[in-house]
Amino acid sequence: MSGTPMNLENANADQTWERAVPVYGFPVVNGFFLGLSALVLIAFVLTAYRELAGLGPVSGMNDAFGWGIWKTFNVMVLTALGSGAFAVGIAAWVFRRKRMHSLMRMALLTSFLAYACGLLLLGIDAGRPWNFYWIVFPWKWNMHSPLAEVAICMSIYAMIPLAIENIPPVLERLWYFDSRLRPGVERIERRLHSVFPWIIAAAYLLPGMHQSSLGALMLLAGERVHPLWQTPWLPVLYLGAATFMSFGCVAGTTMLCCLVWKRAMDMEVLDEAARITAWLIGGWLALRILDVVYRGVLGTAFRLDRFTAVFWIEMMLVAAGGWLLRRSLANHEKRDMFIGYILSSAGGMIYRFSPTTLAFRPDPQALYFPATIEILVSLGFISLGIAGFLVAVKRLAILPAPLHEWHSMANYFRFRRPYIRWTGYFKYGYFGENESETVNSD
Amino acid sequence: MITGIAKAGVPAAVAVTIGTEPLKAETIPVPSAAVGLLYDATICIGCKACVAACAEANDTPPDTRGDALHQAPTDLNDLTRNVIKLYKSEDGKEFSFVKRQCMQCFDPACAAGCPFQALSKDPETGIVSWTADKCIGCRYCTITCPYHVPRFQWVGYNPRVTKCELCSHRLQKGLKPGCTSVCPTGAVIFGPRPVLLMEAKRRIQENPGKYYQNRVYGETDNGGTQALYLSRVPFEKLGLPELGPESVPARSLRWQRRFYQYFALPVVLYAGLVQVIRKSLKGHEEEAHAKEKGTGLRAQL
Repeated sequence: MSGTPMNLENANADQTWERAVPVYGFPVVNGFFLGLSALVLIAFVLTAYRELAGLGPVSGMNDAFGWGIWKTFNVMVLTALGSGAFAVGIAAWVFRRKRMHSLMRMALLTSFLAYACGLLLLGIDAGRPWNFYWIVFPWKWNMHSPLAEVAICMSIYAMIPLAIENIPPVLERLWYFDSRLRPGVERIERRLHSVFPWIIAAAYLLPGMHQSSLGALMLLAGERVHPLWQTPWLPVLYLGAATFMSFGCVAGTTMLCCLVWKRAMDMEVLDEAARITAWLIGGWLALRILDVVYRGVLGTAFRLDRFTAVFWIEMMLVAAGGWLLRRSLANHEKRDMFIGYILSSAGGMIYRFSPTTLAFRPDPQALYFPATIEILVSLGFISLGIAGFLVAVKRLAILPAPLHEWHSMANYFRFRRPYIRWTGYFKYGYFGENESETVNSD
Repeated sequence: MITGIAKAGVPAAVAVTIGTEPLKAETIPVPSAAVGLLYDATICIGCKACVAACAEANDTPPDTRGDALHQAPTDLNDLTRNVIKLYKSEDGKEFSFVKRQCMQCFDPACAAGCPFQALSKDPETGIVSWTADKCIGCRYCTITCPYHVPRFQWVGYNPRVTKCELCSHRLQKGLKPGCTSVCPTGAVIFGPRPVLLMEAKRRIQENPGKYYQNRVYGETDNGGTQALYLSRVPFEKLGLPELGPESVPARSLRWQRRFYQYFALPVVLYAGLVQVIRKSLKGHEEEAHAKEKGTGLRAQL
């Protein structure tokens, strides 16, 4: 691409996402944020109680249902929603869908928060968490265990590649914050860019491994998982569900943010994301139906029991979501697209939740329903992720926007809030004048 | 260079993944001195002496949580490694006691899933035992075990996993497991597995038609177990599922194990990804710098 500004090529120049811009002019601390903080605080207090009392008094888990929502929902379901760094990243970097790059920062942030909160809760869910130190001795790993694969791979992924991929927005903020920091920031950035291919490649390999191993977990449970879900293809289906769910999460969250903070939506990017998601959904549904038919268990889908209900709700939601996404591409209706993402992700969430909980039948008398404390802790750690997201988009350049938003932000800090020193994106007294100078001398 | 490695590596990795047959993990080694139990449900009188003896032998307080008076656990739990249950058919004509404890599988699913080898099978005696300082308390064993044997302690800050370890501490002293040492009718006996198997087959031969399918449960079931069962009623009624001769881990983790064999496939995939991303990154950087010149704003990667 030559030096021609991109906006000359585009008819809707003021709706093209060209730059990530912080959400400025909104306070971080508001009523909603305080509510989230209260939930987080409650969860932390209850966590302390759980560590002393054990899992029984705080949860609905029992001998038959050894796993509760902390694992089956917060980890198995929410990390699927948080696979954006994997799915959107592969579309952008491996298949070179260039438009997807403007969604990458959203994808990386949501993934990091989903994984970090999931892993924290995984540590709380573990009965003997102090023994996690074995993770640093590879020769003590049970290399053939899907759970070892999940635990090790997930921790490494969230702590190294995913965390490093999230550094650039932070460095960028430091670069703008004070000109004295710039040489140091640029040095770190150069070093970072030289290792990026290795980091990014790891960031696609590792989630591919552990998102499929999450499905492999329930293979060992054998007959106790209902035949509509128990299949040798469980790892592939789990990975597939993660891809379309994470597209839904990233694009849906971005649309929601644009609505809430009144940002323009770049329909070219969103259309492409919807197109990819619709194809992913189509492929996943085809594989799922083929698998059910080929194994000859289609009959069980027409019995009158709760498994049938779960199966059809799940399939209908995913299919309806995919259909709405296709329709939104034809009629350019943002509402259809948004609802399509919500429905398909909800269907995917039920799918990821089923083999461990809804379709798990360890013995006919056994029941599992999460206890109040269990639900509160689960909600608290979801709130932690949302609160982290709100802080990040308001303090860092995450959310994509048209170019003019950037200039409006600079003007905002220059003329309307010149007294903001620590929370503004620019240091007081610096308005971006010498930016291109530094750039050109680079 | 990396491309070269990747190109040569793909066929090599595929060959490793598909070609190495049979995998080490799939051929089940038989412990050299496998010991086990033989339980004959037709002799058992359901006196539950073994339940009390088991708790005593393992230094566990009696589980009196039912009525705060009697040691009467209804199932295996965090205080109960061994339990006697009663099966009664719906018309009430057919009934059988069953003693449930760890089956000591040749290829235990609990150990196959255990992330840090807290559950491991002794290569000599074949006893599957739990090690406190390797267990992270993930409770995957309670989900994977097809016999639903390992139980987690739900109360307390330092929970343990409870399962029958064939009283290995007593075996070292030359004593028999607690349950076999008190059984008044000899319904459960202890010994080397081959001897027990011979004994079971002798009983079947001497009483043709007495035992269900004239079969010893555990001879080949789930790849073979070291606890063997004889029964008059179908084994499934006693909570022993028909799993076929292939063990649960061998059957369900076949592809998982092949994909991760020697880590060959992931490494090759990684090398390929690095190559592709290098190229994309170069293009993306160039584009970002062009944009930077156009807008006068610092590039965002």
